Formats: sequence, structure tokens, C-alpha cells
Amino acid sequence: MSSITKTKLKVRDVNVFYGEKQALKNVNIDIADGSVTSFIGPSGCGKSTFLRCLNRMNDTIDEARVTGSIIMDEEEINDRRLDPVVLRARVGMVFQKPNPFPKSIFDNVAYGPRIHGLASTREELEEIVENSLVKAGLWNEVSDRLDDPGTSLSGGQQQRLVIARAIAVNPEVILMDEPCSALDPIATARIEELIDELRENYCIIIVTHSMQQAARVSQQTAFFHLGELVEVGPTETIFTNPRDQRTQDYIMGRFG
Amino acid sequence: MSINAILALTLLVLIAGGFYVGRSRAMTASRGQIANLHSLPNYYGYFVATWTGLPAIIVLLMNAFFGQQLADRLTTAQLTSAARDMVSAYTVQLEDDASYQALLAAAAQQRSVADQLRSDINTLRRARGEARDPARLDMLRQDRLDRVNLLTATETSLENRRQQIASELLATADAETSDTARQSQAGFILATASASEAELFATDMRRIADGDLPSRDTPVLHSAAQLLVQTENGMMRILSVIVLALALGGFLMARQNVGSEFRARNNVEYLINTGLFLCSVIAILTTVGIVASLMFESVRFFSEVPLQEFLLGLQWSPQIAIRADQVGQSGAFGAVPLFAGTALITLIAMVVAIPIGLFAAIYLSEYAGPRFRQIAKPALEILAGIPTVVYGFFALLTVGPFIRGLFGALGFEDVVTQSALSAGLVMGVMIIPFISSLSDDVINSVPQSLRDGSYAMGATQSETIRQVVLPAALPGIVGAVLLAVSRAVGETMIVVMAAGQGANLTANPLEAVTTITVQIVMLLTGDQEFNSVKTLSAFALGLVLFIITLIMNIIALRVVQKYREKYD
Repeated sequence: MSSITKTKLKVRDVNVFYGEKQALKNVNIDIADGSVTSFIGPSGCGKSTFLRCLNRMNDTIDEARVTGSIIMDEEEINDRRLDPVVLRARVGMVFQKPNPFPKSIFDNVAYGPRIHGLASTREELEEIVENSLVKAGLWNEVSDRLDDPGTSLSGGQQQRLVIARAIAVNPEVILMDEPCSALDPIATARIEELIDELRENYCIIIVTHSMQQAARVSQQTAFFHLGELVEVGPTETIFTNPRDQRTQDYIMGRFG
Repeated sequence: MSINAILALTLLVLIAGGFYVGRSRAMTASRGQIANLHSLPNYYGYFVATWTGLPAIIVLLMNAFFGQQLADRLTTAQLTSAARDMVSAYTVQLEDDASYQALLAAAAQQRSVADQLRSDINTLRRARGEARDPARLDMLRQDRLDRVNLLTATETSLENRRQQIASELLATADAETSDTARQSQAGFILATASASEAELFATDMRRIADGDLPSRDTPVLHSAAQLLVQTENGMMRILSVIVLALALGGFLMARQNVGSEFRARNNVEYLINTGLFLCSVIAILTTVGIVASLMFESVRFFSEVPLQEFLLGLQWSPQIAIRADQVGQSGAFGAVPLFAGTALITLIAMVVAIPIGLFAAIYLSEYAGPRFRQIAKPALEILAGIPTVVYGFFALLTVGPFIRGLFGALGFEDVVTQSALSAGLVMGVMIIPFISSLSDDVINSVPQSLRDGSYAMGATQSETIRQVVLPAALPGIVGAVLLAVSRAVGETMIVVMAAGQGANLTANPLEAVTTITVQIVMLLTGDQEFNSVKTLSAFALGLVLFIITLIMNIIALRVVQKYREKYD
């Protein structure tokens, strides 16, 4: 399957340093468009750090330093000359804890379109908000109370609101950093369904601690350990027939 | 060594002994294994020591507070009862004295019409303005005034005659020099002298007994003082017995309780709890007491000046005449100029402090590098540590003349040094650190995840601050501003020095205005008669001030609380 779809992100020799400490060592990976890629590995293995390289969120940390090459659609992302603000409109991100802004549901979703000038009239903006909420599977639940504060929703709803917020600017890539770790199993199932639906139109990368989740939602899986990308391949292969001993140990639950 | 010191020392020894006995008894009960005890051995020691010391110390403290008063009372009672014969002789003489009885009757008759006369005087004075024949009214009023003065004169001569009879009696008794005779003379003075005389006598008696310098020194005073010393010594002996009995009783009772099953730790901790509780109650009671005294005195004020006149009146000149017929006898107590002055200065201060403080907080928490922050934050907080009196003379000596010069050059005339503007500006500077420091804390407590969420949407830093951080921090910032306002409303020293004292009702910041706090200072400093309406008005102003700041603080705390609930 991965041979048919085109490569969205081409990562070569990426190293990340926090001050003196090296958090990522020589990561090389190709990430396909129109599919879900999951990053698994024990805590502190560098998978979130790597995710944050893909939308240059490491720029907000003063002592972080990223070397190497990350190419998205022929364009070098890891280049000081590239404006991260422009990049982040193309690469959306969903965080571990739902973080709706202290605004109404409508304004939360309209936040991105407003700052990037995506809508010229109120009607256009309303259309974008409605489409995003529909895509995030939240429209039916909130259509009659768009003026309520975003924080008034339940945890699972808040996370879908944040996803709606991310897709409102029509990104090409969506990064998800453990999007279900603060949610109960029912809300988690809802989000996983959503990820599966979104897959067709976006390149989705998800960091997760749950191997079942990785197995359920992703087509490609990468295993990180101690800052190294140990193994990457089709999800089925990684879970049934891993090449590396460490991958096998982790999947069998011998550590991590 | 005084008996007091011996008592205290004995008590300390008993307490130490109590600790030791309690501990060692517990050790014995443990049969060598501390785990057999319910509590650690020291707790048994604390328990016995507390019961030995605490009741005795409470009695000693009560003696320290009330002992002297009690001794004075007892001595006075003793002296008065010794003077019983003399007092009855004096009563008989008063009844037999023809001139005294005549004066008494005259005074009673004049007194019965005095209230009517006084109200007549007021009516006549008020009617004078519109009368066709003011001279006649003046004459009538003078007549009434004379009759009131006559009553005063009669009362004075009545009192003089009474004192004359009393001192004649004393003079004949002075021949007897025995202690009992002297004491009955002392009792006679206390019973028959005027209130201030009697108080002076009692004070001198106390001074001689304590070995201090009295204002007078007579044999009568000396023997009275001697009786006081005897009474005190007797009380001291009784006190010693009570204290030692309490200490020993407490010690024995507590010692009896010590055993391996006894929950000494719970008992001691309960006592500590009670102590902590009492401390917090003291703080609360003090507040309640202050508020109650404000209320009480304000009610007295409002019984003389109607509430609506105070709250809505436009003129403030709290002058009260000493004599009934003086010019400008009733002052004006309309507090609106004070409220307006307070509001004007607070407004100016806020216009200065809110933008500067808030922007400083935003810069410090969002943009500043760690090194600048390290220097700037403490520097701002030093601003909060400058005594307000220093701000006051800065406003008076530097800012005031500068403003006068500036606006004078711009063509404004009659600009004064003491103006609302200079006080408000300097007060604003004083309040900057309040707002910046509180807002900085609030902005810092906005979760990083919100900022990350905004950055991840492709927002710039300033968009993130304007659209995400500030809205999230807004309730806390509002709370900070309200706290700052209540601080500004209650600020005194700067306005006393820099805003002037004229109670002008004006919106012009270049004029001198006065505030609630300034007027309270003016009303209560210097020699004041405590019962006049003028002094009481300070309490009413204080009450208003308290209510304003209370409301501000309640709103501020509510707002801040609501904000905390959301993000913790």
C-alpha cells in the first residue's frame, strides 16, 4: 500500500539536542501521504521531540537545536529562513491534553482561519467552522451552542474541538501527540474513528503509548528507543514480525 | 527578690518537674519497650507539664490584667465604709443648712424650664433671618440666654456651698491623726468630692502605694495608700496559694492519668489545636471589634447628621462652635466633595498604573529574556517597598512644582502645587508594582499548553498574547486591578501631602481636592474633643471607606477565585 501513495515527508539524519543532551540520534524516515503513521516507544525515547520537529515547535524552546534535513513536498522545513508561522498553517497539531482557548466554541474553530485570513466574509467563516466541526464529528453535538465557552465541553468533546480547530486551516499534515491519553475508552474510540475518517485527506502522524491503538489506527509504525529510530515498517509487520530484538521485547511487554 | 518572682520561679520549677515526672512515669509504664506506650514518652511529659502550668498561668495573667483594678476597688470600698459615720453627719448638715436648701430649690425650679429655653433660643435665631423686627427677636433671645446662664450660676453656687460644708467637716476631723480616722477622712473625700477630685485622689493613692511621685502628698493620702498596700499584699498571698494549689492539683491529676494506654499525644495535639484556633480567633475578633466600633460611632454621628445629608450633601466644612451663640455654629457634613476627590485621584492613579503595570507584566512574562527579568522584577518590587511618605514628598516637592510650571507655561492660570493631578500621578507610580506583579503571576499561570496550541495554529507571539493569553488571564488581571483600586482609595500619605485640603467639588485635576482619608487625618489629629460631631464624622467617613474597600476586595477575590477554579 505504501508503494502506491506518495511520500509526504522525507527525514534524513535528524539530530536534536537540548543543551548538551542529545535527544534524537540520526533519524531517517519516509512518511506517506494519505495514511496514518504511529510513533511508539517507552517514555523519554524522543518520539514527541521528533513530532515537534515536523512543525518546528522546538523553536519555542530556547536551548533546543535541530540538525539534519526534513523535506516536505520538495521543500526543506528545517531551515532558519523558512517562517515557522507559515509552516504551522500547513502542519496542524493536537496535544496530549485538550487545550481549547478561553473563547466560545465558534471562536476556537475560527481562530486559525481568522489569523491566516482564510475567510473574507462572515458567511465564509461560518462555513469553514461548520465544515471543520462536521469533519471532526462534533457538529451534531454543538451546533446549537456555538457561543458556549470551549471549556464547557467534556474532555472527549474538547479533544474533537481541538481537532476541528486544527483542520479549520486546511493543513496537509496533522500531528497528534498522545491525543487520547487524557480520555476515557469511549471518547478514545470516538477519536480513533475520527482519525480513520480523516486519513483519506491528510497525512496523520500520531504518538501513542497504546500499542493496541497504534495497531488499530495506523498503516505504518515507527519504534523509538533511547533517541534512536529502531525500526519502521508497515504496522502489521512491526507487530507480527519485527526484525529488531528491542522492538520485539517492547511489543511483547518486556519493558517500557 | 519580690514575691512575684519567687512565685514565677516556683511555677517554672513545677512545670519542669511535671515534664520530668510525666516522662519517667511513662518510661516505667512502658517496661523498657517504648512501643508498649500509646505515645512517645515526651508527649506524657508535655501533658503533665501543660496541666501543671497552664491553669496557674491563666490565673496569673488574669491577675496581671485585672489585679490592680481589683485592689483599687477593694481599697475604695473599705475606705468608704470606714467613712460611713462622717458621711451621715455630712448628710444631716446639708439638710440643716438653710442656704444650701434654698439654692437646691431654686436650681430645681430653673432646671425644669431650661430645655424649653434652649429650644426657644434656637427657634428665635432661625426666625431672625426672615423677621420684620430682628432687634426685638434679638432682645427676646438675649432674655432667654440670660435665664439659661442664671441656671448655670445657681448650679455653680450650689456646688460651692456643698463643697464648703464638706471641707469644713474635713477640717474639724483633721485633728484626729489615728490611722482609722485618717482612713475614714480618705473615704469621705472619695465619697463627697467632685468626680475629677475623687479620681485625682485615687490616682495619687495608687502612686504613693507604688512609690511613684504623687501630685499631692498629705497624711490622709498616705494612710489610704498604706491600706492599698496592705490589700495588695493580702491579695498576693491569696494569689500565691491559688496558683500553687492549681499547679499541684493539675500536676497530680495529670500524673494520675499517665499510663501505657493513655493517649497523651492526642491530648497534647488537641491543646496545640486549641492554641492555634485561639490565635485565628484573635485576628477575626480584632476585625470584628474595629468594624463594630466604626459602626457604633457612625450611628452616633448619623443621629446628629441625617444620612442623606452626609451621602448627598455638596458642602463639607466640619466646623463646630464651642459656644451655643457662636457664628457658623453648625458645620456642613456633605461628603460628596470627598467622594468626588477620592474618585478623581483614584481615576488618575489608575490611568497611570493600569497600562504601565499591565504592559510591564506582559513584557516581563512573555518577551523579556531571563537576565532582564532577573533584574527588572526585583526592581519593580522595590518600588512597592518605598514608604508612601517618601512618595508623598516626591509628589509635593518634585511633581507638584513641575506640573505647575508645565501647565503655567501652557497658559493655564492659577495652577497650584498641591493638585489632584500630582497626587494621582505619584499614586499611580506607587501602584504600578501591584498591578505588574499580580498580573505577571496571573499571566505566568496561564498553562503553556494554551500557548503551544496557539503557536501550533501558526499564530505569532503577539497574536497568541492578545487572543489567547490575555483572555485567559483576564479574570486574574481584573482582580489585580480591583485590589489596586481599593489600595488607591485607602491610600493616605500621598494625598495628605500632595493633594491639598480644600474640599472642592471639581473635576479639574489641576485644582486642589481632598479625599476621605485626608479628612479623617485632619479631623482626628491635634487636640480634639472626642464627643463632638466633627470627630464623630471621621468614624462615618471611615465606615464608608471600609465599605468601599470591602466591596472591592470581595469582588476581586471572587473574580480571582473563579479564575483559579478553571485552571488548577
